[in-house]
Parts: sequence; C-alpha cells; structure tokens
Amino acid sequence: MRDGAHPIRRALRLAACALALACAAPAHAQFGWGNSLWPSTKKTEAPTGVQDPHYGDGLFYFYQGRYFSAVTSLMVSQHFDRMPKHADEAEVLRGGLFLSYGLHREAGEIFARLIERGAPPPVRDRAWFFLAKIRYQRGLHAQAEEALARIENTLPGELQEDRVLLQAQLAMARGDYAAAVRALDALAKSGKPGSDAAMYARYNLGVAMIKGGETAKGAALLDEVGRASTASEEFRSLRDKANVALGFAALQEDRADDARRWLERVRLTGMLANKALLGFGWAAASGKNLNAALVPWTELASRDPSDAAVLEAKLAVPYAYAELGAYGRALGLYQDAIGAFEQENARLDESIAAIRAGRLLAGLIERNPGEEMGWFWNIAELPELPHASHLAPVLAQHEFQEAFKNYRDLLFLARNLEQWEASLDVLRAMLANRRQAFAERLPAVRAKERSIDLGLYDGKRDALRAELERVEREADVAAFADARERALQARIDNVRAIVERGGNDPEIAAARERLRRAAGALHWQQTQNFADRLWQAKKNLAELERNLGEAHAREAALGRAQRDEPAKLDAFAARIEALAARVKALQPRVAELAVAQQNHVQELAVAELTKQKERLAAYVSQARFAVAQIYDRANLAKGDGGAPPR
Amino acid sequence: MLKRCCLVLAVALCAAAAPVAAQTATANLDDRIQDVKGDVIRLNRDLMVLEEELLFPANTQVAIFVSMDVGRLFSLDSVKIRLDDKDVANYLYTPAEVQALHRGGVQRVYVGNLKAGSHELVAFFTGKGPHDRDYKRGATIRFDKGTEPKYIELQIKDSTGKLQPEFEVKVWQ
Repeated sequence: MRDGAHPIRRALRLAACALALACAAPAHAQFGWGNSLWPSTKKTEAPTGVQDPHYGDGLFYFYQGRYFSAVTSLMVSQHFDRMPKHADEAEVLRGGLFLSYGLHREAGEIFARLIERGAPPPVRDRAWFFLAKIRYQRGLHAQAEEALARIENTLPGELQEDRVLLQAQLAMARGDYAAAVRALDALAKSGKPGSDAAMYARYNLGVAMIKGGETAKGAALLDEVGRASTASEEFRSLRDKANVALGFAALQEDRADDARRWLERVRLTGMLANKALLGFGWAAASGKNLNAALVPWTELASRDPSDAAVLEAKLAVPYAYAELGAYGRALGLYQDAIGAFEQENARLDESIAAIRAGRLLAGLIERNPGEEMGWFWNIAELPELPHASHLAPVLAQHEFQEAFKNYRDLLFLARNLEQWEASLDVLRAMLANRRQAFAERLPAVRAKERSIDLGLYDGKRDALRAELERVEREADVAAFADARERALQARIDNVRAIVERGGNDPEIAAARERLRRAAGALHWQQTQNFADRLWQAKKNLAELERNLGEAHAREAALGRAQRDEPAKLDAFAARIEALAARVKALQPRVAELAVAQQNHVQELAVAELTKQKERLAAYVSQARFAVAQIYDRANLAKGDGGAPPR
Repeated sequence: MLKRCCLVLAVALCAAAAPVAAQTATANLDDRIQDVKGDVIRLNRDLMVLEEELLFPANTQVAIFVSMDVGRLFSLDSVKIRLDDKDVANYLYTPAEVQALHRGGVQRVYVGNLKAGSHELVAFFTGKGPHDRDYKRGATIRFDKGTEPKYIELQIKDSTGKLQPEFEVKVWQ
C-alpha cells in the first residue's frame, strides 16, 4: 500500500491542514471589545471622576454588562441635556455600545461626527480607533489603517493594546508579516509577562513570524506560550493551541521527536486533547514504532465519536494492526469502525432533526437566560439534545455564535416591546385618571378662586405700606406700641385727664410732674425701640408682599393650568398613541426577523453536521476500501498458497 | 456529449451561485436586524422620555444617586432613604452592582416628585466596615426644592486619615 493513497495518511494530512489553519488564524480573544470600550473597565482601575450624575448612571449599567439599559439611559440623558460635562465621553460610549450591537453604520456616524466637530484629542483618538475597528470588521482594510494612522497619542488602558493588535491584524491581512511582527513585538515587550495581552501577542507574533518565513523565531515564541504556567482556562487552551500547532508543524517536517515533545504538553482533558493524541500516535508511527502509536490511538478510539480525531483514530488503529501484519484484527476493527460510523451517521440525523425542531435554540436560550441583549456573553453549557456532543464544534464557530446572539437579541427586543405595550396601557390609564381628577376638581377650584379676592388683600397691603411710610416719616414712635405700652399709655391718658381737671392744687402739681416723667419714660423707651421695630415692620411687610406675590403667581398658574392642562393632557395622549403605533409596527418586524434568524442559525448548525456526515461517508468508504484491500491480500495469499488473514 | 457538458456547466454555475445568494441573504438579514435594533433602541429612548415627563415633570422632579469613591473601607449591602419622614427607597445591592459603583458608576436609586419648599433627606447605609464589622451609618441633609429638577448624590468615601468610611451628601442643583 502506498502511503499517499492510504486513507489514514490522508486523514493525517487533513488534520495537519486543519491545524495549520488554526495556527494561521490569530487568537481572537484579544478583541474582547467589551473590555476595550472604555478605559476604566478594568476591575483594578480607579473610578473616573463623574461630573454629571446621569453620565455615571449610564456607566453604572455599562459596568454591569447591561448594555441596553446603558445605551437607553445615556440617550435619555442626552435628550434632557443632563450631561454637559461629559458630552463627548457619553457619545464615545454610545458609539461603542452601538458597535457592540453590530450597528456599524450608526456607530460609524457617531465617531465621524465626534471627529468632525473637533472633539478634544483624547476623545478624537478613541473615535479614530473605533472607526478603524468598524472599517476592519467591514473588510475596509486600507481605510482602517488610515484611521489608525490618525491616532495621535497613546490610548488609555487596554485600548492601546487593542490598537496595536488591530494594527498587526491589518498588517497580516495584507501579507506584511514583517510589519505585524514589529507591531506585536513592541507589545510583547511592553506587556507584563503572563498578562492577557502579552500571551496573545506572543502567540500571534509566533504565527506572524512563521507565516513571514521566520520559522525558527516564530516556533520559539509559540514554544514560550506552550510552556507558560497559567491558572486561567482560557490561557491553558491557548497553550494547548500553541503546542498542537507546533506539534503538527513538526510532523509535517518529519521531526517526530520534536512533535512528540510538543504534543506531550497538551492536556489530556482539554479541547485539543484528541487532536494531540492523534498527532502523538502519528509521531510514533512515522518513527516506524506502530506499537507505540497504538497506545494513544487506542485510547482515542474509545472516546466520544463525535470528534473527527476520534473517528480518524478508529481508522488509524486497524491501519496500524494491518501494518503490523495482524490482518484479522485489522479487518475486525475496520468492520467495527464501519459500524460505529454508521451509528454515528444515524445519531447525526437525529441531531439534525432535533435542531430543525427548534430544540437546539430553545435549549441554548434556556441555559443562557441573560437579561439584556449584548455582544459579550458565552454559550455556557450544551443543551440537552439526543447527542449534545455533536454541537461542540457547531457552538465553537464564530459565525454560529454571532448569529445566535442576534437571535437572542431579537427575543430580548420582542420581550421589551411586549413590556412597553403593557406599560403604555398603564400610562393611558394614568392619563385618564388625571383627566377625570382635573374635571372633578375644576369646579371646586374655580369656586375657591372666586371666594378669594386677592385685590382686597392688595388694598390692605397698600394701606399698610402707606402707614409705615407715614410712621417712618413722622417718626411716630407710638405707632409700634405693644399691648403693655398701649395699656400704660391709656393709664397715662386717664391720669392726664384727672390732672387737667384738678386745676392748681399743689398735690396735683406733684402728680403732674410724676405724670410728665412717666409719659417721658414711655416715649423714651419707644424711641429707643423705634429703629428695631421699624426694621421688623418693614421685614414683615416685605414678607407679606412676597406671600401676596406668590398667591398672585399661583392664581396665574392656576389660570394657565385651567387653560393649558386639557391641551397638555391631549398632547401626552397623542404621544402615547404615536409611540404605541411604533411599538405595534415593530412587533411583527421583530417577530418575523426572529423566525428568519432562527432558521438561519439552525441551518448553520445543520450545515456543520452535514459536513460531519460527509466526513463520515468518506471514512466509511476508506474503511470499506481498506477491508477490500485486506480481502484482496488474503485472496492473493490463498492463491499463492499463503495463510488467510490472521 | 454537448448536452452533458452543458448540464455539468449549469450544475457548476448553480453550485457557485448558491453560496453567493446565501451570503447576500445573510447580509440582507443582518442589515434588517441592525435596522430593527436601532429602531427599538430609539423607541425605548422616546418611551422613557415620555414616561419621565409624565411621571416626574421637571418642576417637581427629585432624583437621588449613590456613588462610591474608592470604597475599600466599606462593603455596601443596602441603602434606605427617607424623604420628609417617609421611606421612599430601600435598595439591596448585588455584587455586580457594588462592583459597578466601585468602578465609577453612579446609581440613580430613587426618582420621585416633591413640592417646592424645604425638605429633609435621611439616608442609612448598611454593610461591612473596617475589620469586617457590621456597619450602619446615616447622613442627613435639608434642602430647598425650587421649580428645577433636584439631583442629590449620596457619596460613600474612604477617610484615609480616620481609616473609616465617610458618607456625604452632595446637592447638584
């Protein structure tokens, strides 16, 4: 059997190609756009000084990942002009949130407006960065690079790392690996060893270098990533990815020892364990040590058959036995493999039927009951389907995840519209109550209004003012006499009348003198208190005038309210109805799109499973071909008088 | 023979055209979803503006916010707010909300209506203070409400000198 024609050799080539592609694709976790929307989203970072509380309110939702509430809160506050001190910042945040929802066009317009209106340099720089991202997403690479070039200063926090990574992505996209290497190298040097960005930068740098022809340097970097110790699952996966890429690259170059060394580092329970076991077996097989190859392959063949590497192992094991001359064993295992492939094919059919019945999406939604629509959430668990493991490669697809997020967002929008429909009914009822209360209270208010004659009080106020002016002008100190003084004055007046009636009696003369002194003392006291009393009286008058002014203002407001309130209530009612019409118009649009998107997501999953079925069909053919070859060999041996297959 | 060639060519063209059509349909669906998302976001803004104008008109509106500056000396559990001797808000925080406050978010914990004139606000903060001890503190302020909306911020700060949390009230307008 020629190596090149053997199905197992072909399987190796396919696996190697797949992994070479994995290596070529830069690790994309560095574009955690949620974390890069805002400079202070890192948990360790000190809070920014909020100078408008409503801007802080938007951030409060944003930092909780409640992006829908964040963007609507920001837009409401913008409507009321409540964030004058953070106008630009709020706009950048809004643009970023729009971008997060995939509203590229509107996000782009926001950033372009910020630049056009001459926002301060830090805001402008961020706007250029986001514009570059948008353009990159839309495949406008040259324009994206142009936008990046407009950034004048270092961006804050993670944005700077993202900027460099984007620069490298763009350089790689146009095949300029040297430029990508330069950009990533700077980041790898500047990043803290072991930090998120540094790890990803090293990985991407390694990939870029290998693609740029600097294989040894690139492999050294990937090797560094492949040896890094880390507690995080995300980076353990990245480490496995680097080791698998290195291992398969070495296998392609017939460096079996290197391949084994790298593949040995891959965790036995990780996502890439099966691929590593397959490659590990091939490293042994290429050294003609097929017995050693059987150890990982046999282990792999016993694993869940929904993984392509496991299916390949089911062919690799009988291949190894056949190579070792154990044709009978090989024949049995090939037939077992054909049975397993056919079973797996039937399971795939069941999975496809379950997906088309809507069970995949229902299960995913049930397991991810996030409150708000948004970009940054994960498919945490596999739904309960007949053969859930088929779904792992489906769910890992970026396209599937994005499509599913859109579907989930549409369900959120449908619920949101439903809630508003109910809320609008409440607002309608409230408005009706107000209208009724207004109609009921109006007659009483009008009656009370008629019973109060403010003009009368105005007249009294004027008289008081005139009296006070006279008292001040004439220094009429007695005008402010209190009750005690008035009683004293009455007694003095009585005594004076008696004294005047007493004529020139000497005793009367003495009484007259005492009377003069008492009257003088009273006048002196009143004169002493006059200034204070005058000030107090003026203060009281001012207060009276203010109160009277307020009463007039209230009367005017009441008049206006009587006149304007019905029109105001009508205007609210019209707004409610206009908004209700918008809710009504949007509901069928959202529902229709949800159905269309559901079908689209389901078909993406089905397409992936169909590919698995096609692969299975190819494996079945290869296995049958191998079986036929063994029989041919046996027949030939029989014809030659040799032994039948063992 | 020619017929067979044409058939093969037609099949090949169909095979090539199908993915393009599928891509266009997907792009079209994506565009429509983008449009509907934008429309719903704008509708939500307009609905919230209407709701606020109807329920909390500017001339009577009062909004109370909670913020945290550093906040290492106090782990917030709940806030209770009394306005003119009436309990108006009693809010229990989730860890995500406390984290959002730590990172610079400002929570609008209450929005309501008040007549013009003088009012009293009392806020009680409950949580864990230094050395993980139960901690409850209050802050009081009297303020005048005019015909403009009133925004009041309850600030939780760390007093590094005293190594104690501080609770302050800031009246924005």
